[in-house]
Amino acid sequence: MNRSLPLVILAMAILAFATVMLVVAPKVQIGREPAAAGLKPYTTEQLRGRALYSSLGCVYCHSQQPRAPDQAPDAERGWGRASIAADYAYDSPHLMGTMRTGPDLLNVGARLPSASWQLTHLYQPRAVSAWSIMPAYPFLFEVKDRASPGDRVVWLPEDRRIPGKVVVAKPEARDLVAYLLSLDRTYPVPRSAIRDDGYSRGGATQ
Amino acid sequence: MTTDRESVDEAFEPYEPKRRVPLPVYWVAIALALWGALTLLRDSSADRTGAKQRIAEATTLERRQTATGSALFAERCATCHQADGTGVDGAIPPLAGSPFVGASPGVIVQILLHGIEGPISVNGSDFDGHMPAFGSVLDDDQLARLATSVRGTWGPGGSISPGFVATERARTAQRTSPWHGGDEIATTLDRTIGVQPAYLPAPRSPDDLTAQSIASIGKAGGWSCASCHGSHGEGRDGVPRLAGLSPDYIARQLLAFTDGSRPNDIMRPVAQQLTAADRVALGRLFASLATPSSSHPALEGDVARGAELALQGDDRRNLPSCFSCHGPSGFGVSPNIPSIAAQRPSYTAGRLAALARLTSRQPGSIMPAIAGRLSDADRRAVADYLATLPPSPATSSKDAR
Amino acid sequence: MLTIGLFLAISFLVSLAGLAALIWAVSTDQFSFGQKQARVIFHEGEEGRLDDPTAGSAPTDTERAAIDASTAWPVSLFLGVAVLWLVLGSLFGLVASLKLHLPDWLDGSAVLTFGRIRTLHLTLVIYGWLSLAGIGTATWIVPRIFHTPLRSPRFATWGAIIWNAGLTAGCIAIASGWTDGEEWLEIPWQIDTLLAIGGGLAVVPLLRTAFARSVEHIYVSGWYFLAALCWFPALFIVANIPGIFVGAEQATVNWWFAHNVLGLWLTPLGLGAAYYFIPKIIGKPVYSYSLSLIGFWALALFYSQVGIHHLIGGPVPTWVVTLSIVQSVMMFVPVLAVAINQHVVVARNLWAFKASLPLRFISLGAIMYTLASFEGSLEALRSINTVTHFTQFTIGHAHLGAYGFASFIMFGSIYYMLPRITGRLWPWPGLITAHFWCVVVGFVIYFIALSVGGWLQGVAMLDAGRPFADSVILLKPYLEARSVGGMVMTIGHVLLAINVVSIFVLARPGSRNGALA
Repeated sequence: MNRSLPLVILAMAILAFATVMLVVAPKVQIGREPAAAGLKPYTTEQLRGRALYSSLGCVYCHSQQPRAPDQAPDAERGWGRASIAADYAYDSPHLMGTMRTGPDLLNVGARLPSASWQLTHLYQPRAVSAWSIMPAYPFLFEVKDRASPGDRVVWLPEDRRIPGKVVVAKPEARDLVAYLLSLDRTYPVPRSAIRDDGYSRGGATQ
Repeated sequence: MTTDRESVDEAFEPYEPKRRVPLPVYWVAIALALWGALTLLRDSSADRTGAKQRIAEATTLERRQTATGSALFAERCATCHQADGTGVDGAIPPLAGSPFVGASPGVIVQILLHGIEGPISVNGSDFDGHMPAFGSVLDDDQLARLATSVRGTWGPGGSISPGFVATERARTAQRTSPWHGGDEIATTLDRTIGVQPAYLPAPRSPDDLTAQSIASIGKAGGWSCASCHGSHGEGRDGVPRLAGLSPDYIARQLLAFTDGSRPNDIMRPVAQQLTAADRVALGRLFASLATPSSSHPALEGDVARGAELALQGDDRRNLPSCFSCHGPSGFGVSPNIPSIAAQRPSYTAGRLAALARLTSRQPGSIMPAIAGRLSDADRRAVADYLATLPPSPATSSKDAR
Repeated sequence: MLTIGLFLAISFLVSLAGLAALIWAVSTDQFSFGQKQARVIFHEGEEGRLDDPTAGSAPTDTERAAIDASTAWPVSLFLGVAVLWLVLGSLFGLVASLKLHLPDWLDGSAVLTFGRIRTLHLTLVIYGWLSLAGIGTATWIVPRIFHTPLRSPRFATWGAIIWNAGLTAGCIAIASGWTDGEEWLEIPWQIDTLLAIGGGLAVVPLLRTAFARSVEHIYVSGWYFLAALCWFPALFIVANIPGIFVGAEQATVNWWFAHNVLGLWLTPLGLGAAYYFIPKIIGKPVYSYSLSLIGFWALALFYSQVGIHHLIGGPVPTWVVTLSIVQSVMMFVPVLAVAINQHVVVARNLWAFKASLPLRFISLGAIMYTLASFEGSLEALRSINTVTHFTQFTIGHAHLGAYGFASFIMFGSIYYMLPRITGRLWPWPGLITAHFWCVVVGFVIYFIALSVGGWLQGVAMLDAGRPFADSVILLKPYLEARSVGGMVMTIGHVLLAINVVSIFVLARPGSRNGALA
């Protein structure tokens, strides 16, 4: 420990070893898996919505990685089956998230497929769920005197309506909803699938 | 902040020239290394279990797909028609000697594909027919094997090919309702069946048009039923199926969403917009939809165990069978006991879990008590099994049963 | 399967073999060092004396004066800007915290939405406050332990300027919606090149000083600093290269990076500072110097492989998750080594803990390092992770590490260094005490609220019978308590900033003390 060059070299070698284990090897293994058969690439509209999802920081409260039934009741909440690596083949940046301040969204397109519900909820989450602490996104909407042709009017419960005005979704809001509705990984799992099986109990009843 | 601190501790503490690594460090290192090795072993077996589970699920599905005709009969038909095909007096028509089984092969295939809703007459007895449609839960191969087996046992025999089933399926692909009783089958498909009782359609009320509009475009700009539950009430993976539920049950639930006795954030705002007449009309509408099933097992549940629970229950856990209350094949019996067949598994399992939680608050009520005795794996097993069943027959008069 | 199992076993065995070799080498005295080398931080006459610049006491030493003069300008820059980012970063943190229970507050624009404010908070406190304070501290300590002035200080200054330009641009990008979208890596990679260049420039003077040192031995702080300053650029560059990783692969890179920012960047910076300041202030060497060797190399071996415990139960291979879990638990070993070394010397000299405020910050930070690491090891266990993952418990834990440990040590280091650098006494000594109690009380509220609330949240989410709403509703009071804690902490930071600004601008008559230089 009296020479700086060997110290630096050994320290970097240890990091390189860790990188092989945590980055290179998983990449090789996951990279060999083809995209899941039922998974469709995103459309341009959905991709615009996805960029907005990531820039508004939705990922900090919503995970996109349902757990296996052996671990947690995610599927019973309607969040979908346990996700596998091949479900994310078109995702960049990945948006798996690490928080569930809000529910998991990997299958929100199957769970809440109503575009009009999604618009109401984005405009004011508390119009739908009084207990919600999700931010409202009024800046994705326009408040107008009357809707023009082609406008997507947002329905609101009576106590949230603005008298004499209508709330109309901006294109950004419609993109975001298009992305949310595209989140649907309900197709069956291929036989070879990669995921963390550490909680597997072989389907045994406890 | 006094300044006399710099003179503190004149006596310098004598250090050993060389201080050894304290022994606990060794112990901890060795213990952890052992633990680490054990964890690696245990997790590598979990890894194999997980992979096996996925393969087992796939093969179970395949095995169900390759079951023989008689096995399919035992699983899908025998609960009502009985293993020996004698049916139940006054409720379920017999197969043995039935003119429908004896008719041209297209008849049995069409009945299996679309089911029956309406009166039929077999061997001189009249029945209020409620035959489910299997078109959405069995593929052409399975239907061919099943039809061949039934005709071989109780009819003229002969083989029905998958190709024939496919042709029959294509011929009536536009059909959105079950066969309206024996009369329609006899007049449309095969007149050799003979005279059948006439089918009287339920009278339509003007509210039905309103209900159509609420279901498809929503009331006063609100979210429509179809936007989540699908245009035919088929549901989605996280949204319950409504088609074929009894009208009273639906109306009652809509009321429960409105007054909060069944808490649901998504349903509440839309349910609150509905009038009593709307609720009744929506109930009638969804009850009358003969929508094919698009449910499938999705919870990694053990379908065989699910079938056991649904058909026999489990005495050791004091669990009655589902069908003992919810009717044969889980089609529901009264306005209070809903259909559970072909329901979305995440909805079924989620409801069971929610009901289990009510045990403490509603002592004595049946379903919470039963749900409370189901383990997590059993909830998933039974939910996945129910998803494989044919949808309950659509009806406008089921509550009269 | 076989090859993967083998791979996993090999990785674990290599780490174990490394640890065993190290313990063998230390216990059979293969490296000739012990308490003598531990004293390399003292100049003649310093040992056995309390060294607390907040009270203005220090022996005169011309060699030391020349060393400190060589680092004064770049270190002032690093520390001054770090404190600015700290105040700004904690204000963003406070707003984000308030928004979680006042969701309709400030909802009129995308810039002010929770997702962006929270990101700005993290980016500012990690890459602004902790990284810059850490680099500054390392730049100040390294020449001192090598007994030679800093070489090429201009590189450090330019490094600071470029890093800060990159950070400012990155924050503007995030606020306006331009982001790379991965946690801890939100700054667009194009802007990240500035941070990489700035960080690279800051390393040069330290490496050059290390090669030109006038003592044979490299003191333990030097190992941590040199390694950290080489690790971080490598990590940062690999994780930011665009277009290589996609989907689940990207998630493993993301968490490999994010956890290494803690493990191989903030932790060694904090530990290096603690290893220098604790014995320096008390005037006595650490308990067992050879033990620090185990602490350092075991940290490198195990900490570098723990990142995937952020994906337990996720869509990545079982073996890589398991590897990270096992290595997380193995972290007990280096943490224990560091804990024995640092806590024993403080525990035997509690008079110094009472007497010196910088020491109080630093040794409290070192204690929280021990706690955070133990908690982190436990949190990686599958049985515990299944409850705490996806909940506020994790946020509490992250703050125990990044705030309780790293920030506390940086607070103490700043209070120690700035009087030496400026040659002035702290203008408002009372504010130091106030700062101490603010951050201690604030943080206790913060940590307990999130740990309890997060645990309950996790238990609720695991119960299929409880609707998801339950987990949100039960959390609200804890989120409110967190805001209270955060507010008190922020007040403490403002007090620090007042003192830091004052010590630079206010030349209080009589405070200039030649003996301090």
